[in-house]
Amino acid sequence: MIRNLPARWDLEADVVAIGSGIGGLSAAITAHEHGSRALVLERTEELGGVTALSLGELWVAGNHHALAAGFEDSPDSGYRYLKRLSMGYGEDTAILNNVLHARVALQYFEEKIGLKTRVIPHCPDYYFGTTTDAVAQGRLLEVLPFPAQTLGDWRARTRVSPLVPYALTHEDIFENGGVANMRNWDFDLMAKRLQRDERCLGAGLAAYFVKGALDRGIGLHTGINAQDLICDGSRVVGVRATKDARDVFVRADRGVVLAVSSYERNAGYNKSLGQQLDLGSMVFPSIDGANFRLAGPVGARVARVPDITSLGFCVPGEETPDGEPLWRSALQPIGLPHTIVVNRMGRRFGNEAFYRSILYAVDIIDGGTQTHPNFPCWAIFDGQAREKYPFGSVMPGQDLPAGFGVRADSIVELAQRIGVDARALTDTVSAFNSYCGKSEDPEFHRGSHPWSAWMCGDPGNQPHPNLGPLLRPPFYAVQLHRIGGSAIPAAGVVSDHHARAVGWDDRPIEGLYVAGNSAARLETGACMQSGVSNARGMTHGYLAGRHASGRPSDLLQKERGRFGL
Amino acid sequence: MIETEQRISIGAGIEAVWEYVADIRNWASLMPGSQSCAVLNRDDSRWTLKVGAGGLVKTVIVAVHIEQWNAPAGVIFSYALQGEPVVGSGSYGAARKSAHETEITLKLRVAGSGPMSRLWEAMSTPLLPQLAKAFSERLKLEIEGAAHAAPPPGASSGRSSVLGGLGRWFLIRWRSIIRCGLQQ
Repeated sequence: MIRNLPARWDLEADVVAIGSGIGGLSAAITAHEHGSRALVLERTEELGGVTALSLGELWVAGNHHALAAGFEDSPDSGYRYLKRLSMGYGEDTAILNNVLHARVALQYFEEKIGLKTRVIPHCPDYYFGTTTDAVAQGRLLEVLPFPAQTLGDWRARTRVSPLVPYALTHEDIFENGGVANMRNWDFDLMAKRLQRDERCLGAGLAAYFVKGALDRGIGLHTGINAQDLICDGSRVVGVRATKDARDVFVRADRGVVLAVSSYERNAGYNKSLGQQLDLGSMVFPSIDGANFRLAGPVGARVARVPDITSLGFCVPGEETPDGEPLWRSALQPIGLPHTIVVNRMGRRFGNEAFYRSILYAVDIIDGGTQTHPNFPCWAIFDGQAREKYPFGSVMPGQDLPAGFGVRADSIVELAQRIGVDARALTDTVSAFNSYCGKSEDPEFHRGSHPWSAWMCGDPGNQPHPNLGPLLRPPFYAVQLHRIGGSAIPAAGVVSDHHARAVGWDDRPIEGLYVAGNSAARLETGACMQSGVSNARGMTHGYLAGRHASGRPSDLLQKERGRFGL
Repeated sequence: MIETEQRISIGAGIEAVWEYVADIRNWASLMPGSQSCAVLNRDDSRWTLKVGAGGLVKTVIVAVHIEQWNAPAGVIFSYALQGEPVVGSGSYGAARKSAHETEITLKLRVAGSGPMSRLWEAMSTPLLPQLAKAFSERLKLEIEGAAHAAPPPGASSGRSSVLGGLGRWFLIRWRSIIRCGLQQ
């Protein structure tokens, strides 16, 4: 291992977490609670990381809230569910370790920092109804609204999301008809929460952990960019960071935790690690693969799992505070009734209401023609969809902004205007409309997942929440672009069951830990389940904080035999 | 409909305040995120603003119509966001407190229209008071800064230069705060 000790240390701690999302903050808080001095280095000026941009779901199998509510579940069932999702691309030990510890970590943070969570009512696992060991509700949790006024001066420097309505909970949204029925939402409640700055969803989840760190006096350093790990020849002992163009040497007597998310804003890494071209992104620019840049020189191993390329769009006139285009996900609007997605041949190519189905098809390569047959692609919808549903931030009944999408009085005209074969598109729409009448999509089984109806459907639409014909002009087409999966990556740094980074020799790298989306996604493998990313960040941080403080968890050792591992 | 009222005292006479307020381009330039102002005629203008909220910055074009100019004591206006179902109205009132002090009252109202009107109003609830406060305080700073920058009769040139420089420094700081502030 390299030896690059500095002449001086500017900051000293036992555990240094790089990144202030749920992974870094969990590690710092856990380390503090176990007697270590902890601090957090955050590259941007705001705390909360990608966690704050998310929907804030936590997927925790066998959690105490579900059990108390009488929902039947267990870690064993959760393990079997994730193992099936992984399709062999994950690692069974990593899956089990995550499932076992997520519920422990959840209770730990509820007890220590006052994290308040509850079961999201009627929110099923992605694969409920189609695979065994999936549950109808109980595993997906969300936070209760967090009073951000309690963050004091840090309130304005704790990140919120421009993409999700963080003044409402899942329960507020989905018990009132979901995104499809925005007009039914309780806007008085939204106004009250915005005025009081009560945060829900990911912004709320992140804020709970920021508060937990503040309450413990954990040093939260923003605007400081980790450049290299410092090693003493046998272990990682610190970080060289820069702040205001000056070096800052940060000593970490017990460990450094890499919790810097992934590489979605690094086009080179997207191409070479993710095999993804020209991605837009919903995350901020600092998510550029710092985990690899930092851990690479000390020999950390990288692993990759099969991944999807998401689809999204920019609404003209919307941008980020950095002045960049604001990308929005197409996940929800393309699953609504009266809406389909077609490729340049005018053909559907997947189940639009289940993003984990259609998105694997986006980047399929036709080796015969050296093309991506399903990209570019367009969302096609009719006047009924426009009248009833939002499309991103374009509200129901509102005209599409100038420069956004194409409008035509017929499907033929629409096809001609976007350069798609008119006959094929007409046939596609006709076939889809006939499926809607039968409430069954024999081609792609759209609507076969109860989760699709919950997340992307209109519960009031008959005969099916995800199936509604395209009949009423005008007709619309919005070209969809490739975007990243909100920093949930294909590749990451390999870690062991204590969240220690692992080298190419399969041995842990002493003093280096990795958490959340910085870590290889071996707990989920090929497929994915919402809420796992936040939960694994929290769990990795908990495990890293304990191990670095000399109090490693032995839960996996106790349980693994039961699973034949 | 959401409404808010903001009062502020400006250290300048009502005529001096009016001299500034009578030019609609000055109003537009005081708005947080102001990009440009196209004056169509004495009563109508189009303001392009970048409005920030919750990490989102949105470019909006506001059509402003002056209903009444009541020099120097008041202005009544209405406005509409182009392409968005949002309209509003408001008033500017000025009251002479002394020869060198004027009390300003700014009233703003916003109303959504159409099926999502309550969403627009919910989102405006925290924004509107911030907007009115920022506008009023910046109006005060601009007018008082200009008053300090102009050498009063009999004042030494050295003193006015220092105060003018200080005023400009405050203005620059204030502009940077405003640009970031409403986006937080």
